[in-house]
Amino acid sequence: MRHASPQAHGPVARADRILSPIEDATNLIAALFVFALMCIGIAQVVMRTVFATPLTGYVDLVELSMAGMAFLGAAYTQRMGAHIRMELALGHLTGRKLWAAEALGALVGMAIIGVLTWYSAEHFWRSYELGDTTMDAEYPVWPSKLVVPVAFSIWLVRLAIQFAGAVRLLNDPARDPQGVTLMKDAAQTAREEADAASEDT
Amino acid sequence: MLIGLGFQHPLAVGLIGVGLLIVLVFLGVRVVFAAATVGLLGLVELIGWGPAAGIVGIVPHAKATTYALSVLPMFIFIGFVAFHAGMTSQLFDAARKWLGWMPGGLAEAKVFATAGFAAVSGASTATSAVFARVAIPEMLRHGYDKRLSAGVVAAGGTLATLIPPSAILVIYAIIVEESVGRLLLAGFLPGLVSALVYAAIIIVWALVKPHHAPATPREERATWPERIRALPPLLPIMAVVFIIISAIYQGWATPTEAGALGAGIIFMVAVLRDAGLKPITESLMETAKLTVMIFSLIWGVTIFVRFLGFSGLAEAFTQLVVGIDAPPMVIMLCILLAYAVLGMFMDAIGMLLLTLPVVYPAVIALGFDSIWFGIIVVKMAEICLVTPPIGLNCFVVAAVRPDISLSDVFKGISWFFVADVITIIVLLAFPGIVTWLPDLMR
Repeated sequence: MRHASPQAHGPVARADRILSPIEDATNLIAALFVFALMCIGIAQVVMRTVFATPLTGYVDLVELSMAGMAFLGAAYTQRMGAHIRMELALGHLTGRKLWAAEALGALVGMAIIGVLTWYSAEHFWRSYELGDTTMDAEYPVWPSKLVVPVAFSIWLVRLAIQFAGAVRLLNDPARDPQGVTLMKDAAQTAREEADAASEDT
Repeated sequence: MLIGLGFQHPLAVGLIGVGLLIVLVFLGVRVVFAAATVGLLGLVELIGWGPAAGIVGIVPHAKATTYALSVLPMFIFIGFVAFHAGMTSQLFDAARKWLGWMPGGLAEAKVFATAGFAAVSGASTATSAVFARVAIPEMLRHGYDKRLSAGVVAAGGTLATLIPPSAILVIYAIIVEESVGRLLLAGFLPGLVSALVYAAIIIVWALVKPHHAPATPREERATWPERIRALPPLLPIMAVVFIIISAIYQGWATPTEAGALGAGIIFMVAVLRDAGLKPITESLMETAKLTVMIFSLIWGVTIFVRFLGFSGLAEAFTQLVVGIDAPPMVIMLCILLAYAVLGMFMDAIGMLLLTLPVVYPAVIALGFDSIWFGIIVVKMAEICLVTPPIGLNCFVVAAVRPDISLSDVFKGISWFFVADVITIIVLLAFPGIVTWLPDLMR
């Protein structure tokens, strides 16, 4: 879906190549958190109903681990273009107008994720200094809160790459797209869904 | 300027905020950024930078780490694994053996196979894509009209969002602070009613135009032993349905735990089928992606909602709506019509998250039931998946079958669209269909 070919030169393409494996890895970690949630859920039901000894601190553990699922994949999802947006107007734009809109979108994202990275880091730091724990099992809360600024920092870098990629194309729309998500219309999305289905059945 | 028109300061800021949000979303800014940015700016204007930034820094972690939300990754995972493990063709095979003798039997089989698959999946377009490959060739081979074949596949996909486990109903429950379990139960009967109305339309279609859906010859019909043999592969799916509904209904497990058990069963089936590592890692990566997308929307919109709270806009909107001199049902129809239009241009989850904080209090003030409204709104959003101009399900079917044009699919779907309108009217007239099952739980 992204055009940046493996041999593409230039700082945007290089940054894209460096960040992508990091994003893949963090999304995989998020995926493993989901898998762990499944395992611990099954364990909890079995322990409670069969052995009448529920796991202590189960709810605390689930809540803390949800930070891993909710945030770690944010940059990966951004790269895949999967964060929801309305493409009604965008779909009709081409050339400079399209890249201007894409640059605006990335810029708004950078602004808010930048603020959130800073203040979620503060939120983590307070919790670390105070030694906050959960109510029930008294697990420390700070590792969970640390996930947010870490994931948001990676997201911020991805947005910066997309912004740079859009500005680069705004300067010269004829260039080979790098570091930007190319939009798909409904027919294209449909074709990909169809291909995915034919692979697996 | 708005203050000059007699608006209070917070209310004016609220209106400007909503306007800015609409502009940003329309310009194609991702909904999470648009909502969170406007929320932050509005909070800064109303309570100052320090408190605003404090709130904004806390919301993502605080909102995302609530136990009730943990059911979402489980339900999403069940759907992706079932999809990648290829459980669909077996469902269709069994349904065909049991229902093949009816008028339009193959199309009937398709509807009930989708309803069954919906029990392990909440994804409408993926369901359509799979069945377009499995069911359409079979129907065409038996001389079925291609519009009927395509229409039934595109429409059937929408069943996935009502029949539990449905991610979108969980999201609705979280936004309006209703019980997740009650909403999931509430979706069951309306999902079944939708399937039955589809089935009725097919029977009428097959009886009126027999050449569109030729009867299966007697010698090709399945025998009883064949029918029985088709059932065992369906056991895992039945087990998932049973576990989720019974756990919620009888309260022996939370929705998350029931989801974990269901996911475990489908996961074991995939492993035993020797599906290999690839479909499993793929399901996990896609689950993580969809999870982060939904969670981002939830905290992004929560920041916006914090701002709305300070502006008093939702209360003002409620007063305005309640003050309208018209029967509540007329106002409800207007709201539903607005959703139908909006749904043509926007993803259902994004649409619900953005509008409910303002619309929901008004609906409740008008005296409607919150669970009933959730089901109706989700059904409305689903209808938009099969209507032009976006109608993603129809695009999917046309993409899988190059021999069927998009306009054929849209023509084929028109009768099922009528069916959906009938379903909505039935649900409006008999709200008991929605509320009966969850009310038993009390």
